[in-house]
Amino acid sequence: MVSEKPHLGSQREPMEDDPDPDTRPLSMTTRRGPRSLPPIPSASRTGFAEFSMRERMREKLQAARSKAESALLQETPTPRPRRLQSPSKKELETEFGTEPGREVQRTQQEDDSQSYSRVKFRDSVRKIRSKPPVPPGFPSAEEAYNFFTFNFDPEPEESAEKPKARNRDGTNQEEEEGEEEEPPVQEGVNKMDEEELLNDKDAEDFLLGLDHAAGDLVAVGPADYKGVHARLQEKEILFVPSRLTVPAYKKLPENVQPRYLEDEGLYIGARPEVPRLTQNTVENRLLVQDPGRKWFGDDGRILALPNPTKPFPSRPPVLAQERDMKVELETLYKKAVRYVHRSKHMIGSGDSPGNFQLDIDISGLIFTHHPCFSREHVLAAKLAQLYDQYLARRQRSKATFLTDKLQALRNAVQTGLDPAKTHITQKAIKEYKSEIRQTRKLRDAEQEKDRILLKTIIKVWKEMKSLREFQRFTNTPLKLVLRKEKVDQKADEEAYEAEIQAEISELLEEHLEEYEQKMEEYRTAYQQWKAWKKAQRAKKKKKKQAVEEHLDEEAEEPYLGEDPVKPVPPEPTDRTAVEQQVRERAAQGRKKPGEPTLVPELSLAGSVTPNDQCPRAEVLRREDVKRRSVYVKVIFNEKEVSRTNSRPLGADFRVHFGQIFNLQIVNWPESLTLQVYETVGHSGTTLLAEVFLPVPETTTLTGRAPIEEVEFSSNQHVTLDHEGVGSGVPFSFEADGSNQLVLMTSGKVSNSVAWAVGENGIPLIPPLSQQNLGFRSALKRADAISSIGTSGLTDMKKLAKWAAESKLDPNDPNNAPLMQLISVATSGESYVPDFFRLEQLQQEFNFVSDEELNRSKRFRLLHLRSQEVPEFRNYKQIPAYDREIMEKVFQDYEKRLRDRNVIETKDHIDTHRAIVAKYLQQVRESVVNRFLIAKHHFLLTDLIVEEEVPNISSEGSGILGLSLFKLAEQKRPLRPRRKGRKKVTAQNLSDGDIKLLVNIIRAYDIPVRKPAASKFQQPSRSSRTFSEKHAASPATHSPSPSADYPVGQVLVRPFVEVSFQRTICHTTTAEGPNPSWNEELELPFRAPHGDYSTTSLQSVKDDVFINIFDEVLYDVLEDDRERGSGIHTRIERHWLGCVKIPFSTIYFQARIDGTFKIDIPPVLLGYSKERNVITERGFDSVRSLSEGSYITLFITIEPQLVPGESVREKFDSQEDEKLLQATEKFQAECALKFPNRQCLTTVIDITGKTVFVTRYLKPLNPAQELLNACPNNPQATAELLARYVSLIPFLPDTVSFAGICDLWSTSDQFLDLLAGDEEEHAVLLCNYFLSLGKKAWLVMGNAIPEGQTAYVLTREQSHYLIWNPCSGHFYGQFDTFCPLKSVGCLIGPDNIWFNIQRYDSPLRINFDVTKPKLWKSFFSRSLPYPGLSSVQPEELIYQRTDKAAAAELQDRIEKILKEKIMDWRPRHLTRWNRYCTSTLRHFLPLLENSQGNVEDDHRAELLKQLGDYRFSGFPLHMPYSELKPLIEAVYSTGVHNIDVPNVEFALAVYIHPYPKNVLSVWIYVASLIRNR
Amino acid sequence: MAAAGPSVFLLMVNGQVESAQFPEYDDLYCKYCFVYGQDWAPTAGLEEGISQITSKSQDVRQALVWNFPIDVTFKSTNPYGWPQIVLSVYGPDVFGNDVVRGYGAVHVPFSPGRHKRTIPMFVPESASTLQKFTSWFMGRRPEYTDPKVVAQGEGREGENTETEIPRVARLWLCPAQLTLFCPQ
Repeated sequence: MVSEKPHLGSQREPMEDDPDPDTRPLSMTTRRGPRSLPPIPSASRTGFAEFSMRERMREKLQAARSKAESALLQETPTPRPRRLQSPSKKELETEFGTEPGREVQRTQQEDDSQSYSRVKFRDSVRKIRSKPPVPPGFPSAEEAYNFFTFNFDPEPEESAEKPKARNRDGTNQEEEEGEEEEPPVQEGVNKMDEEELLNDKDAEDFLLGLDHAAGDLVAVGPADYKGVHARLQEKEILFVPSRLTVPAYKKLPENVQPRYLEDEGLYIGARPEVPRLTQNTVENRLLVQDPGRKWFGDDGRILALPNPTKPFPSRPPVLAQERDMKVELETLYKKAVRYVHRSKHMIGSGDSPGNFQLDIDISGLIFTHHPCFSREHVLAAKLAQLYDQYLARRQRSKATFLTDKLQALRNAVQTGLDPAKTHITQKAIKEYKSEIRQTRKLRDAEQEKDRILLKTIIKVWKEMKSLREFQRFTNTPLKLVLRKEKVDQKADEEAYEAEIQAEISELLEEHLEEYEQKMEEYRTAYQQWKAWKKAQRAKKKKKKQAVEEHLDEEAEEPYLGEDPVKPVPPEPTDRTAVEQQVRERAAQGRKKPGEPTLVPELSLAGSVTPNDQCPRAEVLRREDVKRRSVYVKVIFNEKEVSRTNSRPLGADFRVHFGQIFNLQIVNWPESLTLQVYETVGHSGTTLLAEVFLPVPETTTLTGRAPIEEVEFSSNQHVTLDHEGVGSGVPFSFEADGSNQLVLMTSGKVSNSVAWAVGENGIPLIPPLSQQNLGFRSALKRADAISSIGTSGLTDMKKLAKWAAESKLDPNDPNNAPLMQLISVATSGESYVPDFFRLEQLQQEFNFVSDEELNRSKRFRLLHLRSQEVPEFRNYKQIPAYDREIMEKVFQDYEKRLRDRNVIETKDHIDTHRAIVAKYLQQVRESVVNRFLIAKHHFLLTDLIVEEEVPNISSEGSGILGLSLFKLAEQKRPLRPRRKGRKKVTAQNLSDGDIKLLVNIIRAYDIPVRKPAASKFQQPSRSSRTFSEKHAASPATHSPSPSADYPVGQVLVRPFVEVSFQRTICHTTTAEGPNPSWNEELELPFRAPHGDYSTTSLQSVKDDVFINIFDEVLYDVLEDDRERGSGIHTRIERHWLGCVKIPFSTIYFQARIDGTFKIDIPPVLLGYSKERNVITERGFDSVRSLSEGSYITLFITIEPQLVPGESVREKFDSQEDEKLLQATEKFQAECALKFPNRQCLTTVIDITGKTVFVTRYLKPLNPAQELLNACPNNPQATAELLARYVSLIPFLPDTVSFAGICDLWSTSDQFLDLLAGDEEEHAVLLCNYFLSLGKKAWLVMGNAIPEGQTAYVLTREQSHYLIWNPCSGHFYGQFDTFCPLKSVGCLIGPDNIWFNIQRYDSPLRINFDVTKPKLWKSFFSRSLPYPGLSSVQPEELIYQRTDKAAAAELQDRIEKILKEKIMDWRPRHLTRWNRYCTSTLRHFLPLLENSQGNVEDDHRAELLKQLGDYRFSGFPLHMPYSELKPLIEAVYSTGVHNIDVPNVEFALAVYIHPYPKNVLSVWIYVASLIRNR
Repeated sequence: MAAAGPSVFLLMVNGQVESAQFPEYDDLYCKYCFVYGQDWAPTAGLEEGISQITSKSQDVRQALVWNFPIDVTFKSTNPYGWPQIVLSVYGPDVFGNDVVRGYGAVHVPFSPGRHKRTIPMFVPESASTLQKFTSWFMGRRPEYTDPKVVAQGEGREGENTETEIPRVARLWLCPAQLTLFCPQ
């Protein structure tokens, strides 16, 4: 209330329509009715009574007022007046224009104060009325008194109003009251409801309080009339803006044409839709209101935003109102503090002094010139400098950038020319074009610079080279290598041509423009000229007339200007000329198309000539260099604070200090200087140079500060008396002393200065106040890079720069994404993309595009290696650079990929086998993929060596049991036994770790030499065997069968040669047919690709060849007389036979121990077997069959490798579940009794399913051809079948399939694949025998050397025969040389019998399966045979092999083998004896037919034909699988090793085709030496 | 340089096996070896070494100090397969058998400078209590077929059945200073 007072007063003050000016001062002073005295119409007339009356009245009023006030306070605690104020005000405004009549009475001054006072008044009236309970109609005592005592004014209204407005304070109030009385309804319409209500109440109040009739109120209200004058006045005040369009000139400053930005190509957003009329109104109003025209744009329209909506919500500014003032926004008073000025060199006492630390790291010094530089050094420094420059340029790659820019500009022009989206104006295009021109020039300049730089580098390098050559020593290790980066010739040429064409067209355009311009000029000039001409003519005419008229006018005649010459039209530009020009320039500045890019690479790989090879002057120079040493002083604020150690100057003029000085400082550093001093010998030091270091920024801290190189140079003059060029002294490279150079000592100090970081990570930097802030900030402003940091400059910057340069309209929405990108990139703000990405950071981490990554050879190599692609699985040291990877690395792999579907016949020779090989390869790959997971699976035992659980009963590992006994064992037993070795897992092995140990013990029945030579050959001295004469060792145990064999002569001198992976070892030579060597040979083993994993080792296909040779010594002495003084013999070796053991067998068996039959060629010329030895052996009926030579071997691998575990995986099966359970039970029972005996019930077929094994056995028909061969002899037929089966190549499953999973293929699959291991062979042979009506079983057991294998057992009339299906040999049951050593179980077509006899050797067991005590059968009475169907086909279909193909193959093999033999003899001439070859070729079919029993005839025939030659050779026989084994076999015989100068060779191949493409290959190799 | 063969970078490691903390054991010696990837090859120095037997110090630290130097240089073309040093500590048990006391591996530090590494050591545990006893009795504790497996991830899942007990053992390897430089 109180606060309201002045407000109200001030509001009232300017009231205009005060009808009574007298009351004004009163109203000013009294202000308010209820409080003040009643108005005194005339003060002079006031009497005492009147006064007392008044007094009383005042008291009453006072009381009433206070009551009313308290009531009011109770009623309206809220700031009600404010609420009332605003609507009334508003209404006033709205009424303004529409109700002019009323406006006069109620101006804007009528506001809350009035209504408020009214309310007050009414309230008080109500209070008063309720207080004196005067009955209506009767005046109170006071009223009565007043009525009678007052001097009434004559106005009747006054008297009438008097009772109701006792407290009236002035006419103003009165008038207002009247007004209110009169139109209560009208007022109510305008006011708010509340007020309306009040007004109604008021009216009621009046009515109640005064008991007036309605008619009275109407009558007393003042007339609602406004005078004309007032109305006119009002009209002047009011303003109605016109709705007419405002002419443009009014809106613009004088003499200014409206400017339309849109037409100038600037982007103007669409203006919001506003009705034209409204616009006009606003414009008119603005024009009148504000003549400043600031609301109008250049085009004369009201300025408007394209979109008035603000993108961001913004708070309106907070009005400075006391009530809204927030605490935090309040200003606080702070006492002024005097600024304490601190000197920048003094630390205030508040700071901890001296804790700041500056770390100065002086890492080294490089002289770019030094007096002791030799000429070469000068060049080297120059080269290094140029190279640095080159590197820097390349990093900046300005040319590329400009090229890109050029491209971008051209694109921009292209799009600009496109009429479809031509928002780019012609002007912009023009600008682009000029830009293009400029950029092109810049680009050309850059390219030329690059080229020149490169040329200079090469030139300097050449100079250096020639200098080195000239001085004949090298001083610097610098070496420049120019690497050629091949470019795609065609693409390059195209790009080159396109570039030239673009340039030409641009130039042409440019020229055309120029031409046009000139033409224009010409035209105007011509016009002028013409006009002038005309005028001239006219003048002339005139003149003629004039001459006649006035002659004196002639003086005026001469034209003021000189005669316009007839303009010459400009010449159009010639395209060819332009092209010529462009091409010339291109040829100059650019590299030629297709020319490889030269990338120089500087390295320090060269070698420096040692001192003793240098001339004296150079040695002197080097010694001088050695005497010099350099140190660096650190000067801080002009005081030396520390110095480095004195270090000798290196030969490369680099000094390495590597010292860090920690400067504990108290002051902000003023200067930091390094002084470089040089000491020569023991004489004084000289100051070379001073280097000023900048004080580091506060952000450079130790550890993060980069090493910087600061250059220095000195102006000292040094002349030296040796090779050193000196400093400041002119010298020249030329011989004639021209081209002199003067070089000053200069160099670079690499150093870093940084602020140290304290222990708690706080940098030890003097406070900022100490720094010269003004200077620094100025620096920052000047240099953007120093303020932002170089890291901020990315390509974005370039883009932004480009955008700025190319004048992109930043307001154009089409450019908005680009602009946003730039703004984001430059300001570092993030933006929200309008798409969603799952791996949103992927893009950031992709440092190159995917295509680029895939193109990278190195990445590809790494990828392939990690995929364990066989070719790359063990690739070592993948080069670090792409360019170092040879393309040929991938060749094999790519070829393999390519060939996967292409049948390659080169390696396989016949197509069928090639197809099979492919098929096998594919099956293998799929199986490999299947077992890939299992491969990386290790068992605990693979990793950890741990004793097994002690078990007394178990034989091997019982620690407590056996190991205790072991303690009692003899240290050196009489019969030592081989001890088990530690097994080594094949995971950490490398080349050279694994060795193959071959122990060759003894051999039996080696063929002996036949004394044939004496019989058929002409006795010749030179061919007499040396041993015949000189060897004296008696072979008593081998009685000579031949009469003409001299007693005591050596029959044979065999030695054994073991070859494995082309490594060859051989034993010493023993003597006699039953030699004993007992020697151990050690052969290194290399895994393919250096991969020693189990899988890789399993798939090693190499064979160990154990060859037995006879060593023959020939006396080569030509003259008998020399025999006394010297011995000249030549050693020849004759191959006798071999044993071939696959590595895989050794690997799986771990050791191979036993006696093996030597594979002796059927024809061994000059040798024969001693048959009488055989008679001692075993069974008569099979005696002749098992004849042969034997060798006892022990083979093992050191260290012992753990063969891969079989795949621990359960295969699904289609067998009956019961049957499977039974097999498990059966196997468990068998394993319990005889854990070492093999028991086989189920096998895995080629599709990976478990199949019951008997399903594989079923009578299958052999080829009719074979049956027809010898129809009368069943034994011969059986042998032929065995031979046929053995001719199918052997290929262990482990080789073809990674992991040990023994896959059984059915016989037809086997015949199709033409490869398989023992099981397949055995199954096929067994099936054949079954079809022949024999009783045949599959024998599962152990054999040497195969280990666990399958043989075939047949029952002949009285005995059993054991067939080796892989060799085709058969043995009697009691043959001691039978390779089958133990029998686990027998498998027939309908049952399985497990061997439960005590022994398992075939010699000691009974094969009668009907005895249940000896054989435990699978199907018995409890589990009858359910009649399982076979998996084998009904019958086998045989195709006859194409004879022609076989013949062709034969020729090819022969050719290849001949080539190979020639390859193996690189240093000798290899001659082929055609005659002998053809003889052999004829002979080979005989061998096939008779299977090698033609020896004698053959020999006789051969000798007859080749009488003059000493012949050594033999036929080899093997099944044909592929070429490699054949080559290996021929190689292993060593026929090619003969290096007698006149040796000739013969080689014949014969292939005998059997049905189903089974080929028997015979190779006859022989060497012939002519006897002369 | 390009002609001379693939560019390589060299990693020179020198340092020493400083000491160990095996409070329960005494008279231990240690072996070290390096495990590295296919692209790595040692060029100089010894990649394997076996230290002297050391006794515990008499003070409270009870440290086993070897100060056994390591100095080896590798070359490589590829940071993949960064060398790891594998340490294995052996010592006599109650019966005087030489048994393994701990295995541990750590990568050679990637940045040049002095680095100190503490390697926690562990030994494989017997699979069963009975085996534990017998192995103790026979002096044949379970050990890795090759100490290098501790530096390899492959196949370690096979050790699920076995527990590795970390010893309260600390081994200091310091300082492995390495220099990286790439010719060209």
